[in-house]
Amino acid sequence: MRSSVFLVAVSLSAAFPLTAASQVASPAIGKTTHVSLASEAAGREPKTFAPLVGSWVVTKDAGKNVLFIDGRIWKRGQPAGGLADKARELYGARNEDFIESIKAFAYFPIAVYKGIDNFENGEISVRFQMIGGTLDRAAGILFDVKPNGDYLTVRYNGTEDNVVLWTFNNGVRKFVNRAATLVPLELGTWHTLKISIHGTSLKSWLDDQPMHDYTLPRTVSGKIGVWSKTDSMIEFADFTVTPMSR
Amino acid sequence: MRIRHLTACAAALVALPALAGAQGKVQKTTRIPTPRAKLASECTWKPADAWVKRQAEFFDESRHDWTNDSLRNALLDAAGLKAPLKIPVQFGVRVEGADSTPPASAAAMVDALKTLASTRGSTWPTRSVVGAAGTHAVYLLVGLDTTLAKTALHRMMEAGPAESPAADVATLEDRLRLLAGRKQIYGTQFRRGGDGKVELAPMEDSAHADLRREGAALPPFKLGLCMAGAGKGKV
Repeated sequence: MRSSVFLVAVSLSAAFPLTAASQVASPAIGKTTHVSLASEAAGREPKTFAPLVGSWVVTKDAGKNVLFIDGRIWKRGQPAGGLADKARELYGARNEDFIESIKAFAYFPIAVYKGIDNFENGEISVRFQMIGGTLDRAAGILFDVKPNGDYLTVRYNGTEDNVVLWTFNNGVRKFVNRAATLVPLELGTWHTLKISIHGTSLKSWLDDQPMHDYTLPRTVSGKIGVWSKTDSMIEFADFTVTPMSR
Repeated sequence: MRIRHLTACAAALVALPALAGAQGKVQKTTRIPTPRAKLASECTWKPADAWVKRQAEFFDESRHDWTNDSLRNALLDAAGLKAPLKIPVQFGVRVEGADSTPPASAAAMVDALKTLASTRGSTWPTRSVVGAAGTHAVYLLVGLDTTLAKTALHRMMEAGPAESPAADVATLEDRLRLLAGRKQIYGTQFRRGGDGKVELAPMEDSAHADLRREGAALPPFKLGLCMAGAGKGKV
């Protein structure tokens, strides 16, 4: 049975209500937010994340609620249902640019975390398990999500065994940097992808193994979330955010 | 609803060179190593099954919407295929060593595909180029050469589900993973053990096999095992 609810850690739940963008506070520096789906309904779309592209549902894995991108029903150029409402919830009056850009990216399923409005520095990690995907098996951390739909992602792809930083600007995806190490991972096993951002410094790790040490052309600021590609079937869990000062 | 049994499946497989051989041969038959008498009650599928319908949709050639008939015809000839293909086309069951000899024209076409694969910017023969049957011919032919198969798998994945038959992509990926010393992920590859019984080649995460197989328009794992006669002795 696939269902969900991402719960922000109790200590932060009051600070980060999961509703309209206007109600989301800035993240508390140095405090870690562990996002849990424990109270969400299995088989439903997550409430803690806004699924903008792709079919995202909460599902059970070993009795625990996790977030599942279900690539079995992926179709090229098809955003998630209710995109306009979700974009309005995230970006208010600025949602139209966001929608236009996201439609161009419908090749790449994304779900934006509602609990943090603006992430600039710190660490983000997520556990993921590849379930399948004939074309791709991609699990990524989404960050620097702008109101116009531009964003960055660091992702692992099990069809390529690599970790790559991609940028998406004005509907165009561009390769930025590929970690040198190839890491074949078994399907059906859990792994951790982590990034840290301090100013223009971006580092990434896969299961604590260093992947990227890269200097971005500019600092980042924007929403965050999880990312995938085409028909990937990936389970995500334990999305964790620690905002830090630069 | 008409229910077909494995005897029908086996007949369909015998009629089609549906699966590429592991040792560089195109097989014209899949030797299901299970007595027909046992199959009727065990291995069933229906035309209305989702995986069958998805294959039927992909291989529907009622509209002539491909661009290169001469290449298509050459591919079909080299693979020993005749369009339209009988549905389902791909059962995702390949028993190592059960492959038959490819047509004589296959080698030349494999060379042509190698040239195509190594030419930057070349148009790979996808569905919109050679039709659905043509893409299945490509799948069969690239299986004759491991190096070509790796490039072809990449091209097929890049082309996407509208251009490449997902079940063929999955079956080819399984085979290449095994050749690379990794475990298969769809459960399409079988071999004979020392006792002559058919067994599933090493596989990872069999718990989610049916999710993956559904995504790839392959029959349920249980049916695949049944069709391969896994655990059964020689006929």
